Amino acid sequence: MPSETTSMALREVTAEPEFSLWQRIIGLTRRSPTAAVGLGIILFFGMLALMAQYLMPHEPELVYAERVLHPPSSEHLFGTDGNGMDIFSRVIYGARFGFGIAIPAVVLALVIGIPVGLWTGYRGGMVDEALMRFFDGLRVFPSIILALAVVAATGQSLINVVIVLGVLDSPVFARVVRSEVLALRSSVFVESAIAAGNPTWRILFIHLLPNAIQGAMAQTAVRAAWAVRISATLAFLGIGIQAPTPEWGAMIRQGAEFMISGQWWVALFPGVALILLVLGLNMFGDGMQEILNPRSRAEK
Amino acid sequence: MTAEQTSPVLDVRGLVKHFPTGKRDQVVHAVNGVNFSIRPGETLGMVGESGSGKSTIGRTVLRLTEPTAGKIAFQGQEIAEMPMAACRPLRADMQMVFQDPWSALNPRMKVRDLIAEPLLLHTKMTRGERRDRTDELAGRVHLSTDFLTRYPSDLSGGQLQRVCIARAIATNPKLIILDEPTSSLDISVRAGILELLAEIKQQTEAAVLFISHDLGTVRLISDRIVVLYLGKIVEYADADAVFEDAAHPYTQSLMSAHLPANPKAEIRRHVLEGEVPSPIDMPSGCAFHTRCPVAIEDCRRTEPQLEAAGNNTHQAACLRILDGKNRID
Amino acid sequence: MNLLQVRDLETHFISRDIDNRVRIAHALNGITFDVEEGEILGIVGETGAGKSLTAQSVVGLLRPPARIVGGQVRFEGRDLLTMSEDDLNAIRGNDIAMVVQNPRTSLDPLSRIGDQLIRIRRAHSESSEAEARSRAVEMMTAVGIPDPELRLSAWPHELSGGMAQRVLIAMALMNEPKLLIADEPTTGLDVTVQAQILELLRDLVTRMNMGAIIITHDLGVVANFCDRMAVMFAGGIVETGTVGDVFENPAHPYTSNLVDATPERLKIGRKAVFGGAPPDLYNLPDGCHHRDRCRFAREECSTPPPLREVGLKHVARCHFAGELPETAQ
Ligand SMILES: Nc1ncnc2c1ncn2[C@@H]1O[C@H](COP(=O)(O)OP(=O)(O)O)[C@@H](O)[C@H]1O
Ligand SMILES: Nc1ncnc2c1ncn2[C@@H]1O[C@H](COP(=O)(O)OP(=O)(O)O)[C@@H](O)[C@H]1O
Ligand code: SF4
Ligand code: SF4
Ligand SMILES: [Mg+2]
Ligand SMILES: [Mg+2]
Repeated sequence: MPSETTSMALREVTAEPEFSLWQRIIGLTRRSPTAAVGLGIILFFGMLALMAQYLMPHEPELVYAERVLHPPSSEHLFGTDGNGMDIFSRVIYGARFGFGIAIPAVVLALVIGIPVGLWTGYRGGMVDEALMRFFDGLRVFPSIILALAVVAATGQSLINVVIVLGVLDSPVFARVVRSEVLALRSSVFVESAIAAGNPTWRILFIHLLPNAIQGAMAQTAVRAAWAVRISATLAFLGIGIQAPTPEWGAMIRQGAEFMISGQWWVALFPGVALILLVLGLNMFGDGMQEILNPRSRAEK
Repeated sequence: MTAEQTSPVLDVRGLVKHFPTGKRDQVVHAVNGVNFSIRPGETLGMVGESGSGKSTIGRTVLRLTEPTAGKIAFQGQEIAEMPMAACRPLRADMQMVFQDPWSALNPRMKVRDLIAEPLLLHTKMTRGERRDRTDELAGRVHLSTDFLTRYPSDLSGGQLQRVCIARAIATNPKLIILDEPTSSLDISVRAGILELLAEIKQQTEAAVLFISHDLGTVRLISDRIVVLYLGKIVEYADADAVFEDAAHPYTQSLMSAHLPANPKAEIRRHVLEGEVPSPIDMPSGCAFHTRCPVAIEDCRRTEPQLEAAGNNTHQAACLRILDGKNRID
Repeated sequence: MNLLQVRDLETHFISRDIDNRVRIAHALNGITFDVEEGEILGIVGETGAGKSLTAQSVVGLLRPPARIVGGQVRFEGRDLLTMSEDDLNAIRGNDIAMVVQNPRTSLDPLSRIGDQLIRIRRAHSESSEAEARSRAVEMMTAVGIPDPELRLSAWPHELSGGMAQRVLIAMALMNEPKLLIADEPTTGLDVTVQAQILELLRDLVTRMNMGAIIITHDLGVVANFCDRMAVMFAGGIVETGTVGDVFENPAHPYTSNLVDATPERLKIGRKAVFGGAPPDLYNLPDGCHHRDRCRFAREECSTPPPLREVGLKHVARCHFAGELPETAQ
């Protein structure tokens, strides 16, 4: 109460005008060039994934039996692999696996993590305590080992990889949402919503969720990078997706064998693609977090 | 229909609310045995310094916080011990307006949805009917319908408080609690909101609890007034009587501290010594005895009860009313 | 000679927008007022009117992008605006003292009250530690702090809001200022505490024959504690006069709205036409800045209104000051 008038004046000064999408993108490049570069990389790979069939000079799984392990040439820009398949086309097609695993995995993680975070943050108490301890416990294990164990146990399919990644990643979202809800649950608008007669589910999903989701959204790109990395690692270890599927991790695994014998191109090109996409997602994610994070924003 | 003949909408008996402190066997005595009732069409003003328990009473009555003890009868129905879920349908008939309109509205909802929310929750209205009713409500609070498609951040404080009021009257509630509805608004918009509240008061038969520390405003809006000191009612009387003929020494000093916007007002100021004691260590006997200029020895031991002071609609809790030495001037 | 004489003071916020164009907020537009010894001037106006900025401009506490672009501030005949920083520092905190709103943030949380008081004394005069300490005790007594000796070793966080505000006033008085500027000294405090603090201020002004400015948005404060008043709107003073004159015969439409909007004068049902957005300081309208909110506005108002004298030392900046119909709707 003592600073009513000051806060009133502040509110007036800090009211932000609405921006169009285009202005926002321009604003993004200004406020965080890193995020803009990251976004560019993501869009580039996204385009590869969407337009793969038009961009690939060859079928990704077509075997040119007489051209096994050919070095890069004008016919095969990135050379051919041990099966005589065109690596350039396979790298392009691989973008589909990158997004095809990362997006559903992150969506699943959000679908599990957000309600858990909302509920535990709002209700607190024993369930909250227990769940948070359990999540802490999960974090002690390196996620790759857990993923490895679970995929090995549940059967090696693409779906299983997605489910395992989604479940393993959900605590990250549960935590950010929970901490936002903890800060919001005693706010006046929530009390006002209760006073109006809202049932709990509406408090959680209509009132708290839209106000608590920003932090989780800011994390999605970074978590997608994690999913791309872990799924590739699993494939590299021979778990989940198997050769000759044109998945980058699987391709790197196959190419690793030829590194010693001098056919560097088999592993190099999918490796570079993988690193680039993970880097792009991380750069974008970090930039977004910086912009969306109210604290860094206030300091500006 | 006069107010005296109808049964009260809200009847509060022996309401107590203690909050835990960090330490064991220590509590904040926020509300300590409060009795009052409000009849249909009546506006009860509640005044007291900050920390005297006004908001806690409002929130407890609406079951937004659990009472420690006491009875709350709402339209004759006992609700103090009702499970929270069972209270929900009752909320159509009891609504609240909060002090700070900037934080009382979900920033992610459009104004139209905010006003229509109680209708969505408590009526079987169709989408179209809700639309019409929302437009009508916007008109009643003098808010341009252009604002209905905006978000709260696009509105000024006065406009936001109009939205809150529209929301509170949407379901024609029987009880409206206004917790400092004008205190955080700028002087230039206060008058407009007060006018609106007065207008709504005339239009409905609702019982209104008007909480404020702004004495001028309370006098303007209320029929009767309760004065709180450390979570207890020290005086309960008609609005004008509280201002002109206060019986309790605390009320007298409170009224003398009031600054009417009138340079000619003659005020005999009785500035109190010291500060309000902590509600953690409540003074014994009369809670006001540590500052009371006319306290006697007995005030430390005996807790005064609300008793008739003057006529029977005027009550005050002071031991010295009996010997007529309750005036501090 | 007047103690403080402010003439045509203009303060702008000068910044650049995204496209690097210069943007100017005309936050103060020709402020003129005087303060004499032994009198209290009240400056009232709604939030954002420029009250605090006026105080900051006078004492030279502006921070970029705010800049004084014109006018004079004379203190005992010396122009503060053209003075060297060293000379100004010698006056500030010594001859001119300032008390700001929100006492807690104005006290250094890491030093004891006594040390802060002593420090301020010794920064401006060559008094010994012991001398400064006894002065501190004296001032703490003067502002009504019980057990001053004991309280010298208290930490700021141990004080209540009212006590902290008293300490700030004691601090302002340490060097026997000739002019005291209090910016919303009681906003957010309870009425009883407010009355204590303002009584104290008024008493000190008379006793020490200081001049004082009280900045407030509460007309009650002005009516009860000030001798003269200046009403601000959109960075300009629209009316000045004695408190009695201005309340009785408000000459400017804004003042008359402001006075009519107080709970004491508010007539429910008359539909006070008051409020609305203040003009955009970046893009002030030609002519009278009050035009968009003025119910008397007509053709002439598109030229800047002059300061018209409507009584002895009672002036208003309106083409029709003193000629407005009593209750035009
Ligand atoms: N949630 C809470 N936890 C602990 N103490 C509280 C809580 N809410 C209010 N109080 C205390 O209860 C007392 C009454 O507070 P409140 O009802 O807000 O007073 P008012 O509205 O009259 O200013 C105060 O001492 C306050 O500190
Ligand atoms: N950095 C800034 N840039 C532009 N305008 C500003 C800035 N800071 C404050 N203002 C404006 O200056 C005006 C005067 O503010 P202030 O003196 O604090 O008002 P008051 O004390 O009367 O409430 C306000 O309208 C405010 O919006
Ligand atoms: S009971 Fe005693 S202490 Fe309490 S108000 Fe009356 S006289 Fe004062
Ligand atoms: S000059 Fe005109 S617009 Fe300005 S206050 Fe006077 S009547 Fe109103
Ligand atoms: Mg309160
Ligand atoms: Mg100010």
